[in-house]
Amino acid sequence: MIAKIDSFLEKVIGHALVINVLSMLLLSVLGIVLRWFQISFPWIDPLVRHLVFLSAFLGGALASGKGRHIAIDIISKYLESVNNHKTLKMIKALTIFVSVFTCFWLIDASIEFAKSEFEYGKANFFGIHSGYLVSIIPFGFGLIVIRFIFGLLMIGNSSPEVEEA
Amino acid sequence: MEGLLYVLILLLALLGTPIFVVMSLFGLTAFYFAETPGAALIIEMYRIASAPTLLTIPLFTFAGYLMAESGSPRRLLRFAEAALGWLPGGVAIVSLVICAFFTAFTGASGVTIIALGGLLYPILVKEGYSEKFTLGLITTSGSLGLLFPPSLPIILYGLVAKTDIDKLFKAGLVPGFLLIAILSAWAIKNGGAAALQRKPFKFEELIASFKGAFWEILLPIGVLYGIYGGITTASEASAFTALYVLIIECFVYRDLSFRKDIPKIIVESMTLVGAILLILCCALGMTSYLVDEEIPMQILEVMKQYITNKYVFLAFLNIFLLIVGSLMDIFSAIIVVVPLIIPIATEFQIDPIHLAIIFLTNLEIGYITPPVGINLFISSFRFNRPVTELYKASLPFLALLLVALILITYVPSLSLFWFN
Repeated sequence: MIAKIDSFLEKVIGHALVINVLSMLLLSVLGIVLRWFQISFPWIDPLVRHLVFLSAFLGGALASGKGRHIAIDIISKYLESVNNHKTLKMIKALTIFVSVFTCFWLIDASIEFAKSEFEYGKANFFGIHSGYLVSIIPFGFGLIVIRFIFGLLMIGNSSPEVEEA
Repeated sequence: MEGLLYVLILLLALLGTPIFVVMSLFGLTAFYFAETPGAALIIEMYRIASAPTLLTIPLFTFAGYLMAESGSPRRLLRFAEAALGWLPGGVAIVSLVICAFFTAFTGASGVTIIALGGLLYPILVKEGYSEKFTLGLITTSGSLGLLFPPSLPIILYGLVAKTDIDKLFKAGLVPGFLLIAILSAWAIKNGGAAALQRKPFKFEELIASFKGAFWEILLPIGVLYGIYGGITTASEASAFTALYVLIIECFVYRDLSFRKDIPKIIVESMTLVGAILLILCCALGMTSYLVDEEIPMQILEVMKQYITNKYVFLAFLNIFLLIVGSLMDIFSAIIVVVPLIIPIATEFQIDPIHLAIIFLTNLEIGYITPPVGINLFISSFRFNRPVTELYKASLPFLALLLVALILITYVPSLSLFWFN
Protein backbone atom coordinates (compact mmCIF):
# COMPACT_ATOMS: atom_id res chain seq x y z
CA MET A 1 0.00 0.00 0.00
CA ILE A 2 2.76 2.44 1.02
CA ALA A 3 4.74 1.45 -2.05
CA LYS A 4 1.70 2.21 -4.24
CA ILE A 5 1.14 5.65 -2.72
CA ASP A 6 4.86 6.39 -2.98
CA SER A 7 4.94 5.35 -6.61
CA PHE A 8 1.84 7.52 -7.33
CA LEU A 9 3.53 10.49 -5.65
CA GLU A 10 6.68 9.86 -7.66
CA LYS A 11 4.64 9.93 -10.88
CA VAL A 12 2.93 13.20 -9.92
CA ILE A 13 6.30 14.79 -9.08
CA GLY A 14 7.73 13.46 -12.34
CA HIS A 15 4.89 15.02 -14.38
CA ALA A 16 5.29 18.31 -12.51
CA LEU A 17 9.02 18.27 -13.31
CA VAL A 18 8.40 17.65 -17.00
CA ILE A 19 6.01 20.62 -17.18
CA ASN A 20 8.42 22.71 -15.14
CA VAL A 21 11.51 21.99 -17.22
CA LEU A 22 9.78 22.44 -20.57
CA SER A 23 8.25 25.72 -19.33
CA MET A 24 11.60 27.07 -18.12
CA LEU A 25 13.19 26.06 -21.41
CA LEU A 26 10.57 27.66 -23.62
CA LEU A 27 10.23 30.78 -21.49
CA SER A 28 13.96 31.40 -21.35
CA VAL A 29 14.33 30.99 -25.13
CA LEU A 30 11.29 33.23 -25.67
CA GLY A 31 12.82 35.88 -23.39
CA ILE A 32 16.08 35.89 -25.36
CA VAL A 33 14.38 35.99 -28.77
CA LEU A 34 12.08 38.82 -27.69
CA ARG A 35 15.09 40.80 -26.47
CA TRP A 36 16.52 40.66 -30.00
CA PHE A 37 13.43 42.59 -31.10
CA GLN A 38 13.79 45.07 -28.22
CA ILE A 39 10.74 43.56 -26.50
CA SER A 40 11.16 42.63 -22.89
CA PHE A 41 8.86 41.03 -20.37
CA PRO A 42 10.37 41.66 -16.95
CA TRP A 43 8.44 38.75 -15.43
CA ILE A 44 10.19 36.07 -17.49
CA ASP A 45 13.54 36.02 -15.65
CA PRO A 46 12.20 35.84 -12.08
CA LEU A 47 9.56 33.31 -13.13
CA VAL A 48 12.19 31.08 -14.76
CA ARG A 49 14.46 31.35 -11.72
CA HIS A 50 11.60 30.33 -9.44
CA LEU A 51 10.80 27.40 -11.74
CA VAL A 52 14.43 26.29 -11.33
CA PHE A 53 14.11 26.78 -7.58
CA LEU A 54 10.97 24.63 -7.54
CA SER A 55 12.73 22.00 -9.69
CA ALA A 56 15.44 21.74 -7.05
CA PHE A 57 12.86 20.57 -4.52
CA LEU A 58 10.94 18.36 -6.95
CA GLY A 59 14.18 16.73 -8.10
CA GLY A 60 15.26 16.48 -4.47
CA ALA A 61 11.99 14.72 -3.61
CA LEU A 62 12.67 12.18 -6.38
CA ALA A 63 16.24 11.67 -5.15
CA SER A 64 14.91 11.13 -1.61
CA GLY A 65 12.59 8.33 -2.73
CA LYS A 66 15.21 6.66 -4.91
CA GLY A 67 17.96 6.96 -2.29
CA ARG A 68 19.99 8.98 -4.79
CA HIS A 69 20.99 11.94 -2.69
CA ILE A 70 24.66 12.80 -2.80
CA ALA A 71 26.28 11.34 0.31
CA ILE A 72 29.64 10.08 1.52
CA ASP A 73 29.10 6.39 1.01
CA ILE A 74 32.43 4.86 2.06
CA ILE A 75 30.91 2.86 4.91
CA SER A 76 27.89 1.63 2.94
CA LYS A 77 30.15 0.57 0.05
CA TYR A 78 32.35 -1.34 2.48
CA LEU A 79 29.36 -3.03 4.14
CA GLU A 80 27.99 -3.97 0.72
CA SER A 81 31.31 -5.48 -0.29
CA VAL A 82 31.37 -7.70 2.82
CA ASN A 83 27.66 -8.56 2.46
CA ASN A 84 26.75 -7.15 5.86
CA HIS A 85 23.20 -6.25 4.85
CA LYS A 86 21.78 -6.17 8.38
CA THR A 87 24.11 -3.38 9.54
CA LEU A 88 23.66 -1.60 6.23
CA LYS A 89 19.89 -1.62 6.73
CA MET A 90 20.23 -0.25 10.26
CA ILE A 91 22.52 2.55 9.11
CA LYS A 92 20.13 3.37 6.26
CA ALA A 93 17.22 3.58 8.71
CA LEU A 94 19.27 5.85 10.99
CA THR A 95 20.27 8.20 8.17
CA ILE A 96 16.67 8.44 6.92
CA PHE A 97 15.45 9.09 10.45
CA VAL A 98 17.96 11.94 10.83
CA SER A 99 16.86 13.25 7.43
CA VAL A 100 13.19 13.24 8.51
CA PHE A 101 14.06 15.07 11.73
CA THR A 102 16.10 17.69 9.89
CA CYS A 103 13.44 18.21 7.23
CA PHE A 104 10.81 18.86 9.92
CA TRP A 105 13.17 21.42 11.48
CA LEU A 106 13.65 23.01 8.05
CA ILE A 107 9.88 23.07 7.44
CA ASP A 108 9.35 24.79 10.78
CA ALA A 109 12.03 27.39 10.01
CA SER A 110 10.74 27.97 6.49
CA ILE A 111 7.15 28.43 7.68
CA GLU A 112 8.46 31.13 10.03
CA PHE A 113 10.19 32.79 7.09
CA ALA A 114 7.08 32.52 4.89
CA LYS A 115 4.94 34.05 7.68
CA SER A 116 7.24 37.04 7.98
CA GLU A 117 7.37 37.38 4.20
CA PHE A 118 3.54 37.44 4.08
CA GLU A 119 3.63 40.18 6.69
CA TYR A 120 6.46 42.35 5.38
CA GLY A 121 6.99 41.17 1.78
CA LYS A 122 5.69 42.71 -1.39
CA ALA A 123 4.01 41.75 -4.65
CA ASN A 124 6.42 40.30 -7.22
CA PHE A 125 6.04 39.38 -10.89
CA PHE A 126 2.39 38.95 -12.02
CA GLY A 127 1.48 40.53 -8.71
CA ILE A 128 2.30 37.27 -6.90
CA HIS A 129 3.07 38.08 -3.27
CA SER A 130 6.61 37.12 -2.20
CA GLY A 131 5.06 35.12 0.66
CA TYR A 132 3.70 32.64 -1.89
CA LEU A 133 7.06 32.44 -3.65
CA VAL A 134 8.99 31.59 -0.49
CA SER A 135 6.29 29.03 0.35
CA ILE A 136 8.00 26.87 -2.29
CA ILE A 137 10.50 26.04 0.49
CA PRO A 138 8.17 24.52 3.12
CA PHE A 139 6.18 22.87 0.32
CA GLY A 140 9.39 21.39 -1.16
CA PHE A 141 10.71 20.13 2.16
CA GLY A 142 7.23 18.75 2.84
CA LEU A 143 7.42 16.61 -0.30
CA ILE A 144 10.95 15.51 0.57
CA VAL A 145 10.01 14.51 4.11
CA ILE A 146 7.01 12.49 2.88
CA ARG A 147 9.29 10.53 0.56
CA PHE A 148 11.81 9.98 3.34
CA ILE A 149 9.06 8.74 5.66
CA PHE A 150 7.77 6.33 3.00
CA GLY A 151 11.34 5.15 2.50
CA LEU A 152 11.71 4.55 6.23
CA LEU A 153 8.45 2.62 6.40
CA MET A 154 9.43 0.53 3.40
CA ILE A 155 12.75 -0.43 5.00
CA GLY A 156 10.73 -1.84 7.89
CA ASN A 157 8.38 -3.69 5.54
CA SER A 158 10.96 -5.19 3.19
CA SER A 159 12.08 -8.70 4.01
CA PRO A 160 15.79 -9.47 4.38
CA GLU A 161 15.56 -11.80 1.36
CA VAL A 162 14.37 -8.95 -0.81
CA GLU A 163 17.14 -6.73 0.52
CA GLU A 164 19.73 -9.43 -0.11
CA ALA A 165 18.46 -9.89 -3.65
CA MET B 1 27.75 20.18 24.25
CA GLU B 2 27.79 22.21 21.02
CA GLY B 3 31.12 20.69 19.96
CA LEU B 4 29.85 17.20 20.70
CA LEU B 5 26.84 17.78 18.46
CA TYR B 6 29.09 18.85 15.58
CA VAL B 7 31.15 15.67 16.01
CA LEU B 8 27.90 13.68 15.93
CA ILE B 9 26.84 15.46 12.72
CA LEU B 10 30.22 14.63 11.18
CA LEU B 11 29.73 10.98 12.13
CA LEU B 12 26.28 11.02 10.55
CA ALA B 13 27.87 12.40 7.36
CA LEU B 14 30.38 9.53 7.33
CA LEU B 15 27.55 7.04 7.80
CA GLY B 16 26.00 8.22 4.52
CA THR B 17 23.44 10.83 5.61
CA PRO B 18 22.61 12.97 2.56
CA ILE B 19 25.00 15.93 2.37
CA PHE B 20 22.15 18.45 2.16
CA VAL B 21 20.75 17.09 5.45
CA VAL B 22 24.17 17.24 7.09
CA MET B 23 24.64 20.86 6.03
CA SER B 24 21.16 21.91 7.08
CA LEU B 25 21.55 20.19 10.44
CA PHE B 26 24.91 21.88 10.96
CA GLY B 27 23.48 25.28 10.00
CA LEU B 28 20.34 24.92 12.12
CA THR B 29 22.34 23.73 15.13
CA ALA B 30 24.83 26.58 14.77
CA PHE B 31 22.06 29.15 14.48
CA TYR B 32 20.28 27.59 17.46
CA PHE B 33 23.34 27.97 19.68
CA ALA B 34 23.90 31.49 18.38
CA GLU B 35 20.28 32.19 19.43
CA THR B 36 19.43 33.15 15.85
CA PRO B 37 16.08 31.96 14.45
CA GLY B 38 16.29 29.05 11.99
CA ALA B 39 14.54 31.28 9.46
CA ALA B 40 17.93 32.99 8.97
CA LEU B 41 19.15 29.79 7.28
CA ILE B 42 16.09 29.74 5.03
CA ILE B 43 16.67 33.37 4.01
CA GLU B 44 20.16 32.38 2.83
CA MET B 45 18.66 29.40 1.02
CA TYR B 46 16.19 31.60 -0.85
CA ARG B 47 19.04 33.78 -2.14
CA ILE B 48 19.78 31.12 -4.72
CA ALA B 49 16.50 32.01 -6.45
CA SER B 50 18.00 35.34 -7.44
CA ALA B 51 21.24 33.96 -8.94
CA PRO B 52 21.18 34.89 -12.65
CA THR B 53 23.22 31.85 -13.76
CA LEU B 54 21.02 29.38 -11.88
CA LEU B 55 19.27 28.34 -15.10
CA THR B 56 22.47 26.95 -16.61
CA ILE B 57 22.58 24.05 -14.15
CA PRO B 58 19.32 22.30 -15.12
CA LEU B 59 19.47 23.15 -18.82
CA PHE B 60 23.07 22.11 -19.57
CA THR B 61 22.54 18.93 -17.53
CA PHE B 62 19.33 18.18 -19.42
CA ALA B 63 21.13 18.71 -22.76
CA GLY B 64 23.97 16.40 -21.67
CA TYR B 65 21.55 13.65 -20.65
CA LEU B 66 19.66 14.01 -23.95
CA MET B 67 22.87 13.49 -25.89
CA ALA B 68 23.98 10.56 -23.75
CA GLU B 69 20.63 8.80 -24.28
CA SER B 70 20.55 9.38 -28.04
CA GLY B 71 22.71 7.96 -30.81
CA SER B 72 25.02 10.94 -30.42
CA PRO B 73 27.93 9.04 -28.75
CA ARG B 74 27.97 6.55 -31.66
CA ARG B 75 27.88 9.26 -34.36
CA LEU B 76 30.51 11.45 -32.72
CA LEU B 77 32.75 8.46 -32.12
CA ARG B 78 32.57 7.54 -35.81
CA PHE B 79 33.51 11.08 -36.79
CA ALA B 80 36.35 11.32 -34.27
CA GLU B 81 37.68 7.97 -35.46
CA ALA B 82 37.61 9.10 -39.09
CA ALA B 83 39.32 12.38 -38.21
CA LEU B 84 41.95 11.18 -35.73
CA GLY B 85 42.07 7.38 -36.07
CA TRP B 86 44.99 7.53 -38.54
CA LEU B 87 47.32 9.01 -35.92
CA PRO B 88 49.57 6.67 -33.93
CA GLY B 89 47.51 5.72 -30.88
CA GLY B 90 44.60 7.17 -32.82
CA VAL B 91 41.78 5.16 -31.28
CA ALA B 92 43.00 5.94 -27.76
CA ILE B 93 43.22 9.64 -28.62
CA VAL B 94 39.73 9.47 -30.12
CA SER B 95 38.49 7.97 -26.85
CA LEU B 96 40.09 10.75 -24.82
CA VAL B 97 38.68 13.52 -27.03
CA ILE B 98 35.18 12.10 -27.24
CA CYS B 99 35.01 11.46 -23.49
CA ALA B 100 36.21 15.00 -22.80
CA PHE B 101 33.50 16.35 -25.10
CA PHE B 102 30.81 14.33 -23.33
CA THR B 103 32.02 15.13 -19.85
CA ALA B 104 31.93 18.85 -20.64
CA PHE B 105 28.24 18.49 -21.44
CA THR B 106 27.23 15.96 -18.79
CA GLY B 107 29.17 17.55 -15.95
CA ALA B 108 31.27 14.54 -14.95
CA SER B 109 28.34 12.91 -13.26
CA GLY B 110 29.40 9.41 -14.25
CA VAL B 111 27.29 9.53 -17.40
CA THR B 112 30.37 9.51 -19.64
CA ILE B 113 31.62 6.14 -18.43
CA ILE B 114 28.13 4.67 -18.50
CA ALA B 115 27.24 6.07 -21.97
CA LEU B 116 30.59 5.71 -23.72
CA GLY B 117 32.39 2.98 -21.78
CA GLY B 118 30.39 0.22 -23.39
CA LEU B 119 31.11 1.62 -26.86
CA LEU B 120 34.80 2.34 -26.37
CA TYR B 121 35.88 -0.74 -24.44
CA PRO B 122 35.33 -3.31 -27.23
CA ILE B 123 36.83 -0.97 -29.85
CA LEU B 124 40.02 -0.40 -27.85
CA VAL B 125 40.42 -4.09 -26.96
CA LYS B 126 39.77 -5.08 -30.60
CA GLU B 127 42.48 -2.66 -31.68
CA GLY B 128 44.90 -4.59 -29.47
CA TYR B 129 45.15 -2.34 -26.41
CA SER B 130 45.60 -4.36 -23.23
CA GLU B 131 42.61 -4.74 -20.95
CA LYS B 132 44.44 -2.95 -18.15
CA PHE B 133 45.32 0.01 -20.37
CA THR B 134 41.75 0.19 -21.72
CA LEU B 135 40.16 0.14 -18.28
CA GLY B 136 42.58 2.79 -17.02
CA LEU B 137 41.98 5.00 -20.03
CA ILE B 138 38.18 4.87 -19.85
CA THR B 139 38.13 5.33 -16.07
CA THR B 140 40.37 8.40 -16.38
CA SER B 141 38.46 9.81 -19.34
CA GLY B 142 35.23 9.83 -17.32
CA SER B 143 36.14 13.20 -15.84
CA LEU B 144 38.53 14.52 -18.47
CA GLY B 145 36.47 17.31 -20.00
CA LEU B 146 35.67 18.92 -16.70
CA LEU B 147 37.68 22.04 -17.49
CA PHE B 148 35.87 22.66 -20.79
CA PRO B 149 32.74 24.75 -21.23
CA PRO B 150 29.91 24.28 -20.44
CA SER B 151 30.95 21.94 -17.63
CA LEU B 152 28.62 21.96 -14.65
CA PRO B 153 31.40 22.04 -12.01
CA ILE B 154 32.78 25.26 -13.57
CA ILE B 155 29.34 26.87 -13.44
CA LEU B 156 28.84 25.75 -9.86
CA TYR B 157 32.27 27.05 -8.89
CA GLY B 158 31.46 30.42 -10.48
CA LEU B 159 28.18 30.58 -8.58
CA VAL B 160 29.70 29.68 -5.23
CA ALA B 161 32.86 31.77 -5.59
CA LYS B 162 31.04 34.67 -7.29
CA THR B 163 33.61 34.50 -10.09
CA ASP B 164 32.84 35.36 -13.72
CA ILE B 165 31.77 32.07 -15.34
CA ASP B 166 32.68 33.21 -18.87
CA LYS B 167 36.23 33.92 -17.68
CA LEU B 168 36.41 30.52 -15.99
CA PHE B 169 35.31 28.84 -19.22
CA LYS B 170 38.15 30.59 -21.05
CA ALA B 171 40.74 29.87 -18.36
CA GLY B 172 40.00 26.14 -18.39
CA LEU B 173 40.66 25.65 -22.11
CA VAL B 174 44.47 25.38 -22.20
CA PRO B 175 44.79 23.32 -18.98
CA GLY B 176 42.01 21.06 -20.33
CA PHE B 177 43.88 20.51 -23.60
CA LEU B 178 47.12 19.99 -21.66
CA LEU B 179 45.55 17.08 -19.79
CA ILE B 180 44.37 15.52 -23.07
CA ALA B 181 47.77 16.08 -24.72
CA ILE B 182 49.69 14.42 -21.87
CA LEU B 183 47.37 11.42 -21.81
CA SER B 184 47.47 11.17 -25.61
CA ALA B 185 51.26 11.12 -25.56
CA TRP B 186 51.11 8.35 -22.99
CA ALA B 187 48.64 6.42 -25.14
CA ILE B 188 51.00 6.65 -28.12
CA LYS B 189 54.06 5.67 -26.08
CA ASN B 190 52.59 2.95 -23.92
CA GLY B 191 49.62 1.60 -25.82
CA GLY B 192 51.91 -1.24 -26.99
CA ALA B 193 51.77 -2.59 -30.52
CA ALA B 194 48.18 -1.38 -30.90
CA ALA B 195 49.25 2.23 -30.65
CA LEU B 196 51.83 1.79 -33.39
CA GLN B 197 49.35 0.37 -35.89
CA ARG B 198 48.27 3.17 -38.10
CA LYS B 199 44.98 3.07 -39.86
CA PRO B 200 44.78 4.52 -43.34
CA PHE B 201 43.09 7.90 -43.52
CA LYS B 202 39.88 7.68 -45.57
CA PHE B 203 38.57 11.00 -46.80
CA GLU B 204 35.20 9.51 -47.88
CA GLU B 205 34.64 8.11 -44.37
CA LEU B 206 35.54 11.49 -42.85
CA ILE B 207 32.96 13.24 -45.03
CA ALA B 208 30.31 10.55 -44.45
CA SER B 209 30.82 10.60 -40.66
CA PHE B 210 30.90 14.42 -40.68
CA LYS B 211 27.56 14.49 -42.48
CA GLY B 212 26.20 11.92 -40.04
CA ALA B 213 27.15 13.95 -36.96
CA PHE B 214 26.88 17.41 -38.56
CA TRP B 215 24.25 18.86 -36.21
CA GLU B 216 26.07 17.61 -33.12
CA ILE B 217 29.47 18.86 -34.33
CA LEU B 218 27.94 22.33 -34.64
CA LEU B 219 27.02 22.31 -30.95
CA PRO B 220 30.38 22.90 -29.22
CA ILE B 221 31.30 25.39 -31.94
CA GLY B 222 28.05 27.26 -31.33
CA VAL B 223 28.44 27.23 -27.53
CA LEU B 224 32.07 28.41 -27.67
CA TYR B 225 31.40 31.04 -30.30
CA GLY B 226 28.27 32.23 -28.50
CA ILE B 227 29.98 32.63 -25.11
CA TYR B 228 33.44 33.78 -26.22
CA GLY B 229 32.13 35.92 -29.04
CA GLY B 230 30.08 37.83 -26.48
CA ILE B 231 26.88 36.95 -28.36
CA THR B 232 25.21 35.07 -25.52
CA THR B 233 25.65 34.80 -21.78
CA ALA B 234 26.16 31.38 -20.20
CA SER B 235 22.44 31.27 -19.26
CA GLU B 236 21.32 32.09 -22.78
CA ALA B 237 23.75 29.52 -24.19
CA SER B 238 22.26 26.88 -21.88
CA ALA B 239 18.72 27.65 -23.06
CA PHE B 240 19.69 27.47 -26.74
CA THR B 241 21.78 24.34 -26.22
CA ALA B 242 18.95 22.48 -24.48
CA LEU B 243 16.39 23.48 -27.11
CA TYR B 244 18.77 22.74 -29.98
CA VAL B 245 19.69 19.27 -28.66
CA LEU B 246 16.03 18.52 -27.97
CA ILE B 247 15.08 19.43 -31.55
CA ILE B 248 17.93 17.58 -33.29
CA GLU B 249 17.64 14.39 -31.24
CA CYS B 250 13.84 14.23 -31.44
CA PHE B 251 13.06 15.65 -34.87
CA VAL B 252 16.23 15.56 -37.00
CA TYR B 253 17.90 12.29 -36.00
CA ARG B 254 14.69 10.93 -34.45
CA ASP B 255 16.71 8.92 -31.90
CA LEU B 256 14.41 9.96 -29.09
CA SER B 257 10.64 10.06 -28.92
CA PHE B 258 9.35 13.37 -27.56
CA ARG B 259 6.49 11.69 -25.74
CA LYS B 260 8.17 8.51 -24.53
CA ASP B 261 11.83 9.36 -23.93
CA ILE B 262 11.88 13.06 -23.06
CA PRO B 263 9.84 12.80 -19.82
CA LYS B 264 12.09 9.95 -18.65
CA ILE B 265 15.24 11.95 -19.44
CA ILE B 266 13.87 15.05 -17.71
CA VAL B 267 13.09 13.05 -14.57
CA GLU B 268 16.49 11.34 -14.63
CA SER B 269 18.49 14.55 -15.16
CA MET B 270 16.43 16.60 -12.71
CA THR B 271 16.97 14.00 -9.97
CA LEU B 272 20.67 14.82 -10.19
CA VAL B 273 20.03 18.56 -10.54
CA GLY B 274 17.67 18.50 -7.53
CA ALA B 275 20.28 16.70 -5.44
CA ILE B 276 22.95 19.27 -6.40
CA LEU B 277 20.78 22.36 -6.00
CA LEU B 278 19.51 21.22 -2.61
CA ILE B 279 23.09 20.94 -1.38
CA LEU B 280 23.80 24.37 -2.83
CA CYS B 281 20.75 25.89 -1.08
CA CYS B 282 21.47 24.25 2.26
CA ALA B 283 25.18 25.04 2.12
CA LEU B 284 24.49 28.75 1.72
CA GLY B 285 23.19 28.89 5.28
CA MET B 286 26.06 26.89 6.64
CA THR B 287 28.76 28.85 4.84
CA SER B 288 27.26 32.19 5.83
CA TYR B 289 27.58 31.05 9.43
CA LEU B 290 31.21 29.97 8.89
CA VAL B 291 32.05 33.27 7.24
CA ASP B 292 30.26 35.28 9.97
CA GLU B 293 32.28 33.42 12.57
CA GLU B 294 35.44 34.17 10.55
CA ILE B 295 36.37 30.48 10.45
CA PRO B 296 38.48 30.85 7.24
CA MET B 297 40.48 33.63 8.93
CA GLN B 298 41.06 31.42 11.96
CA ILE B 299 42.29 28.61 9.71
CA LEU B 300 44.53 31.14 7.97
CA GLU B 301 46.06 32.25 11.27
CA VAL B 302 46.93 28.65 12.11
CA MET B 303 48.29 28.02 8.61
CA LYS B 304 50.48 31.12 8.67
CA GLN B 305 52.52 29.54 11.46
CA TYR B 306 53.60 26.73 9.15
CA ILE B 307 53.20 28.08 5.65
CA THR B 308 55.23 31.12 4.81
CA ASN B 309 54.91 31.58 1.08
CA LYS B 310 52.56 31.19 -1.85
CA TYR B 311 54.32 28.15 -3.34
CA VAL B 312 54.25 26.09 -0.17
CA PHE B 313 50.60 27.06 0.20
CA LEU B 314 49.86 25.84 -3.33
CA ALA B 315 51.55 22.51 -2.60
CA PHE B 316 49.55 22.17 0.59
CA LEU B 317 46.36 23.15 -1.26
CA ASN B 318 46.93 20.46 -3.88
CA ILE B 319 47.44 17.72 -1.32
CA PHE B 320 44.38 18.86 0.64
CA LEU B 321 42.19 19.06 -2.47
CA LEU B 322 43.30 15.68 -3.77
CA ILE B 323 42.18 14.15 -0.49
CA VAL B 324 38.90 16.08 -0.63
CA GLY B 325 38.37 15.06 -4.26
CA SER B 326 38.83 11.40 -3.51
CA LEU B 327 36.49 11.46 -0.51
CA MET B 328 33.71 13.83 -1.57
CA ASP B 329 31.84 14.23 -4.80
CA ILE B 330 32.80 17.27 -6.80
CA PHE B 331 29.59 19.21 -6.25
CA SER B 332 29.63 19.05 -2.45
CA ALA B 333 33.37 19.68 -2.45
CA ILE B 334 32.92 22.89 -4.43
CA ILE B 335 30.04 24.09 -2.29
CA VAL B 336 31.68 23.32 1.06
CA VAL B 337 35.36 23.95 0.46
CA VAL B 338 35.40 26.94 -1.93
CA PRO B 339 34.07 29.54 0.55
CA LEU B 340 36.69 28.42 3.08
CA ILE B 341 39.60 28.40 0.63
CA ILE B 342 38.99 31.70 -1.19
CA PRO B 343 39.83 34.14 1.64
CA ILE B 344 42.96 32.14 2.49
CA ALA B 345 44.11 31.98 -1.15
CA THR B 346 43.48 35.73 -1.50
CA GLU B 347 45.81 36.33 1.46
CA PHE B 348 48.50 34.37 -0.39
CA GLN B 349 47.80 36.51 -3.50
CA ILE B 350 46.55 33.72 -5.71
CA ASP B 351 44.47 34.88 -8.65
CA PRO B 352 40.83 33.75 -8.14
CA ILE B 353 40.59 32.43 -11.72
CA HIS B 354 43.84 30.48 -11.35
CA LEU B 355 42.62 29.16 -8.00
CA ALA B 356 39.43 27.91 -9.70
CA ILE B 357 41.38 25.99 -12.33
CA ILE B 358 43.72 24.46 -9.71
CA PHE B 359 40.70 23.54 -7.61
CA LEU B 360 38.82 21.91 -10.48
CA THR B 361 41.89 20.06 -11.79
CA ASN B 362 42.43 18.59 -8.34
CA LEU B 363 38.85 17.42 -8.12
CA GLU B 364 39.07 16.01 -11.65
CA ILE B 365 42.05 13.93 -10.49
CA GLY B 366 40.19 13.08 -7.28
CA TYR B 367 37.72 11.12 -9.42
CA ILE B 368 40.37 8.44 -10.04
CA THR B 369 42.25 8.73 -6.76
CA PRO B 370 42.02 5.58 -4.59
CA PRO B 371 40.46 4.52 -2.36
CA VAL B 372 37.12 6.13 -3.14
CA GLY B 373 37.44 8.14 -6.36
CA ILE B 374 33.98 7.82 -7.84
CA ASN B 375 35.10 6.90 -11.40
CA LEU B 376 36.79 3.81 -10.02
CA PHE B 377 33.48 2.61 -8.63
CA ILE B 378 31.50 3.54 -11.73
CA SER B 379 33.94 1.61 -13.92
CA SER B 380 33.92 -1.27 -11.47
CA PHE B 381 30.12 -1.36 -11.78
CA ARG B 382 30.06 -0.78 -15.56
CA PHE B 383 32.71 -3.37 -16.46
CA ASN B 384 31.97 -5.73 -13.61
CA ARG B 385 35.55 -5.77 -12.31
CA PRO B 386 36.83 -5.60 -8.73
CA VAL B 387 37.65 -2.04 -7.80
CA THR B 388 41.23 -3.05 -6.87
CA GLU B 389 41.84 -3.99 -10.53
CA LEU B 390 40.79 -0.46 -11.48
CA TYR B 391 43.14 1.04 -8.86
CA LYS B 392 46.05 -0.69 -10.64
CA ALA B 393 44.81 0.18 -14.13
CA SER B 394 44.37 3.88 -13.35
CA LEU B 395 47.63 4.38 -11.46
CA PRO B 396 49.84 5.39 -14.45
CA PHE B 397 47.14 7.80 -15.63
CA LEU B 398 46.88 9.23 -12.13
CA ALA B 399 50.65 9.85 -12.06
CA LEU B 400 50.48 11.67 -15.41
CA LEU B 401 47.59 13.84 -14.30
CA LEU B 402 49.57 14.78 -11.20
CA VAL B 403 52.40 16.00 -13.44
CA ALA B 404 49.85 18.09 -15.35
CA LEU B 405 48.50 19.40 -12.04
CA ILE B 406 51.96 20.60 -11.02
CA LEU B 407 52.29 22.43 -14.34
CA ILE B 408 48.84 24.00 -14.00
CA THR B 409 49.57 25.03 -10.41
CA TYR B 410 53.01 26.53 -10.88
CA VAL B 411 52.57 28.00 -14.36
CA PRO B 412 49.61 30.35 -13.82
CA SER B 413 49.89 31.76 -17.34
CA LEU B 414 48.47 28.47 -18.67
CA SER B 415 45.14 29.60 -17.20
CA LEU B 416 45.61 33.34 -17.16
CA PHE B 417 47.34 34.32 -20.41
CA TRP B 418 43.96 35.33 -21.88
CA PHE B 419 43.58 38.07 -19.32
CA ASN B 420 47.06 39.60 -19.25
